[in-house]
Amino acid sequence: MTDKRARNEHIKEASRQLRGTIAEGLADQATGAIAEDDQQLVKFHGTYLQDDRDLRGERARKKLEKAYSFMIRVRIPGGVVTPAQWLALDAIAGNYANGTLRLTTRQTFQFHGVIKSNMRATMQAIDAALLDTIAACGDVNRNVLATSNPHLSPAHESALELARSLSTHLLPRTGAYREIWLDGERIAGPDGEAAGEEEPLYGRHYLPRKFKTVVAVPPDNDVDIFAHDLGFIAIVENGEVCGWNVTVGGGMGMTHGEPDTFPRTADVMGFCTPSQAVDVAEKVLTVQRDWGNREIRKRARLKYTIEDRGLDAFRAEVERRLGYALSPPRAFDFARTGDHLGWQKGPDGRFHLGLFVENGRIADRPGHGLRTAMREIAEIHKGELICTANQNVIVAGVSARAKKRIDAILAANGILVATSSGLRRNSMACVALPTCGLALAESERYLPSLVTRLEALLDRHGLREDEIVIRMTGCPNGCARPYLAEIGLVGRGPGTYNLYLGAAFDGSRLSKLHAEDVHEAEIVSLLDPLFGRYALERTDGERFGDFVIRAGVVAPTLSGRTFHDDIRLAGRR
Amino acid sequence: MTALAPIPSTAPFSAAEIGLLNSVVARSSPEQRAWLSGFLAGLSAGTPAAQAAPLAPPRKRTPLTILYASESGNAESLALAARKSAAKLGFDARVLDMAEADPAALQKAGRLLVFAATWGEGDPPQRAADFYTALMAGDAPRLDGLHFSVLALGDSAYVNFCETGRRIDARLAELGGVRVAERIDLDLDFAKAAAAWTTATLETLRPAEDAASTVVHVNFHADAEPAGETAPAFSAESPLEAEITELVNLSGTGSSRETWHVELRTDAPGFTYQPGDAIAVIPENDPELVAAVIEAARVTPDAGLLAHLETSADITTLSRPLAERYGRIAGREDVARLAADAASFQAFAADRQLLDLFKTYPATLMGSDLRELLRPLPHRLYSVASSAAAHEGETHLLVGAVRWHAHGLDRKGVASTFLADRRRKGDSLKLFVKPNRHFRLPADPARPVVMIGAGTGVALRGFVAEREAMGATGHNWLVFGERNFTHDFLYQLEWQEHLASGTLARLDVAFSRDQPEKIYVQHRLWQHRDQLLGWIGDGAHIYVCGDEKGMARDVDDTLARILAEQAKGDAEAGRAALKALAKAGRYQRDVY
Ligand code: SRM
Ligand SMILES: Cc1cc2nc3c(=O)[nH]c(=O)nc-3n(C[C@H](O)[C@H](O)[C@H](O)COP(=O)(O)OP(=O)(O)OC[C@H]3O[C@@H](n4cnc5c(N)ncnc54)[C@H](O)[C@@H]3O)c2cc1C
Ligand SMILES: Cc1cc2nc3c(=O)[nH]c(=O)nc-3n(C[C@H](O)[C@H](O)[C@H](O)COP(=O)(O)O)c2cc1C
Ligand code: SF4
Repeated sequence: MTDKRARNEHIKEASRQLRGTIAEGLADQATGAIAEDDQQLVKFHGTYLQDDRDLRGERARKKLEKAYSFMIRVRIPGGVVTPAQWLALDAIAGNYANGTLRLTTRQTFQFHGVIKSNMRATMQAIDAALLDTIAACGDVNRNVLATSNPHLSPAHESALELARSLSTHLLPRTGAYREIWLDGERIAGPDGEAAGEEEPLYGRHYLPRKFKTVVAVPPDNDVDIFAHDLGFIAIVENGEVCGWNVTVGGGMGMTHGEPDTFPRTADVMGFCTPSQAVDVAEKVLTVQRDWGNREIRKRARLKYTIEDRGLDAFRAEVERRLGYALSPPRAFDFARTGDHLGWQKGPDGRFHLGLFVENGRIADRPGHGLRTAMREIAEIHKGELICTANQNVIVAGVSARAKKRIDAILAANGILVATSSGLRRNSMACVALPTCGLALAESERYLPSLVTRLEALLDRHGLREDEIVIRMTGCPNGCARPYLAEIGLVGRGPGTYNLYLGAAFDGSRLSKLHAEDVHEAEIVSLLDPLFGRYALERTDGERFGDFVIRAGVVAPTLSGRTFHDDIRLAGRR
Repeated sequence: MTALAPIPSTAPFSAAEIGLLNSVVARSSPEQRAWLSGFLAGLSAGTPAAQAAPLAPPRKRTPLTILYASESGNAESLALAARKSAAKLGFDARVLDMAEADPAALQKAGRLLVFAATWGEGDPPQRAADFYTALMAGDAPRLDGLHFSVLALGDSAYVNFCETGRRIDARLAELGGVRVAERIDLDLDFAKAAAAWTTATLETLRPAEDAASTVVHVNFHADAEPAGETAPAFSAESPLEAEITELVNLSGTGSSRETWHVELRTDAPGFTYQPGDAIAVIPENDPELVAAVIEAARVTPDAGLLAHLETSADITTLSRPLAERYGRIAGREDVARLAADAASFQAFAADRQLLDLFKTYPATLMGSDLRELLRPLPHRLYSVASSAAAHEGETHLLVGAVRWHAHGLDRKGVASTFLADRRRKGDSLKLFVKPNRHFRLPADPARPVVMIGAGTGVALRGFVAEREAMGATGHNWLVFGERNFTHDFLYQLEWQEHLASGTLARLDVAFSRDQPEKIYVQHRLWQHRDQLLGWIGDGAHIYVCGDEKGMARDVDDTLARILAEQAKGDAEAGRAALKALAKAGRYQRDVY
């Protein structure tokens, strides 16, 4: 019988629990790259080999290889760091990375542009800050999200605690990370069957694909719970979490032109008690480990396992492994995605600042010294700093006096707390060019200017303050969750995008393709009349995403598998 | 018959050539050897071969020592030329490289000619440093009765113009020598003046009774003399006009550097070079700068003057001699006063150029004044970055563009930006070879080689290519340094290929600006000192190429430190060991 398993399965199997030849590759000074198979393995260690795509054209002529560098993603369950940790990360950005910190859509930081010779020093600096990057990427349970800001209620605090427990419990156990990056001491690592023993949960082959877990506290769906493999929705009674609704099978990624790939909103599978939650997560993960598709990577996510096997069968297997049944899901109600921006007073009388960070990039730009401002805040701040799932940051636990100083720091560095339009405040773009190897079009570098053009339309229609969610990605993988945005733009090629409309503001309904391969002028001319109609025709409190469905602009997408159905493309001009 | 002593291995021929010569000479009869000696001597004296001078009866000739201190070969070639003239005049002349001499050797010399170049900042050429130090030392031998004269080579652009020659001249007199002709200090355009001075000084040194002799003498017992490697077919006067076939800035976008890889078509008959040589490039001035100079000097230009300024005159260097001349020509007392005082001139000139002098002290000049004021435009040297064996018919250079800003003006290095800004693929470039016989790969291809180069010093690429083309079996180790890995890894793809093919056994890199702490090539040497000592133990030759102040000095110190560590921490022993390596030709430098 021929072995039909995907290439990555063989790489994992032969890797001696994620060791591969990474250490040898790091020692090779002639190249900034590492071996091809090792490029897959380092993901499990939280890092990707990339190259500066802006420079590809010139390199060979200059007798240089591609401008390789590494992206490093930190693991921060719930996104909460101390000011001291922020300062440490900021220093790393300056010393080893490209001088910026990148807040991601999954509550953490990325460094870009770390060259190979600095990898160990960077990983050690992260370690010294009491953080790590283990399992931030790779076919494992990734960073676990929790509704931002544990200070808002005991339920929020429970959410953070659960996120941390889940992250810890589902961590890979291999010693490879410590050996390769921290001690520098090379241990051969177990081979063959013995290898599995080092990873009781994951075995030799880890998961078929990435696995993402989140924890939400209604009414806020800031973590976009339906976009993830596994989710826990807090059910609150008397101010405390009495248990969690369990969601499974969400995901965004798809491939252009391959209709058996699609984004999918998660199903609510049942309810568990607080003490059961970690066990439930483990069993969901192991069923996916054993049932997930290991031949076709594009179909290896949990969402396809559930599509293929059915939710009932999946639930039954989880319950079988648990040894008990899950309760039926409890009622819950999400009001919105996104973050609370601006100053907010918490129940304990302390203040929290939700600071809009355009596309998550913490950098110093002329007239906009965000990185400096954040560093200065971290230097005086006594509370925490929290990365949100929407690429923003919360300065949490601020006294009334410190609030003034923080306002002064922001003002001095040209940072406005109240930012521009409702559209921009609800905008997100993935990284895309120049670092993302998969990008087909610009995203982070482009969305801000597109929003500026759209703001002119909104101004005309009197919609500047209306909150409309717009998200852009450079490819259909969906890293900024564009299919859950009221306006979604997904890169197709340089300067061209697919335009999706009609997702729900609360993150519960996917969008629908409205126009294909449109560039800026077409995007603007398609949206202009829709904004105009929305301003005039909307019912009280009606969201833009709901309006376009009621107005018949697009059909609603009621499940992932119907994402590609019922498409009525807008006529090309 | 006793076996004839073979041609010594120190003879200025390759090992293979020495073998060939020995095979002929060892079997030759005395008559054959006599004929050959006369023939060859006549040949170098310019006598037609057919009329090889008959053997003259032996007679006592006046001994003359010609001593030189040279780095890039100018003083050396003047010394060799002087030897020829001296021989014609009947001297028993021997040429001595300060690198291989000791001041005591001068005690019995009787007559001495010195050709000395100045390097660094008023320093002797590196290989002459020991001799120089010994000569200046309190315990230097007395040289009473020594008849001497000194020719100093330098560059008036430097503050310490001809310093080495000046100090040697003074010291020889101090030690009791008799100065028979005044010292002459020559700038970069030294050729004619040096020839005239040599002829005149030799006449002065010649004893009256020798005057009539025209016989060519051959002295087999003379020390092995460095010969010019082959009479160059191309020179400053008749340079090769080579086509530029490739011109690319190797520094990546985002680099703080600008380093141009230049490929030249040099397949003209008679054009030969060896890796280690330098190429002298004859640049042209920036027409915009010419215009600015003309405006500042308030000259009414004509086509002739414009052409002269563009192609033939140094319009950037601001030297004291020039300021003196300007003060005189312009009739400006203030300039004369400025030039008269070394310290205040230095303060003014430090980061200024000719244009600043004109602008600060304006005067209206005639075209002829300007011509008189300016020295000829000097050529610039670039280390060969190719191997004729590997890159047939081509010569490659690696040129760092020199640009800086001072006193409100963007400044550009004349030759480097002539190439970077005003030459394109297909244009031609005037050049000639400047051989450097002190920077040569080991004759024995089995010897290991350690090459240390930072920045444009990685012109050492020529060595690597040569070793590959020659199929040299000795291992090659390259230590390369620059600022940033991503943008400044000069020739990265080629090194990767050389590593894959085994041509490079080892590569170490030092990028100074990639991390908070500065890492330079010397740090890598220190880090890997055990391996380095192993290579040295295996007979490795060490080559250092590139910036003197910014790199070579620190590398030198580090090598000495490494050798000292091996000698149980004895710093002096370390130094001595490094010197011994240099003396054995196993530590060679091409630094600037
Ligand atoms: C940084 C981030 C986007 C951002 O602007 O914030 C990001 C960036 C990348 N994602 Fe993502 N993803 C990010 C959140 C997401 C999300 C959103 C989420 O999880 O909430 C998704 C959609 C949800 C999902 O997983 O379905 C997402 C779906 C993908 C996919 C498609 C996965 C799929 O199964 O369909 C890929 C491609 C892949 O895995 O093969 C991908 C791959 C990538 C890579 C690593 C490209 C690659 O594989 O070479 C991108 C690195 C770009 C760069 O230069 O930094 N990323 N990625 C987010 C980092 C989150 C984190 O901290 O862990
Ligand atoms: C044996 C030898 C080998 C060499 N090999 C190479 C080689 O392989 N590659 C290479 O690139 N170069 C090499 N050089 C150096 C080269 O010859 C030139 O000196 C160099 O290219 C500069 O020439 P230029 O005409 O562009 O600049 P110039 O017009 O000669 O200007 C250089 C002068 O400008 C001044 N200057 C420069 N920077 C500043 C500053 N920041 N502030 C104030 N003043 C400044 C200094 O006075 C400096 O001497 C070599 C030199 C020698 C002697
Ligand atoms: C790096 C460098 C430093 C020099 N320093 C001086 C100096 O301080 N004073 C001086 O008069 N000439 C200086 N010169 C000019 C040389 O003395 C001049 O080029 C001379 O012709 C070289 O002779 P050589 O080829 O015999 O070494 C320097 C040249 C170079 C390349
Ligand atoms: S969505 Fe595509 S382009 Fe954007 S970061 Fe993710 S993989 Fe890259």
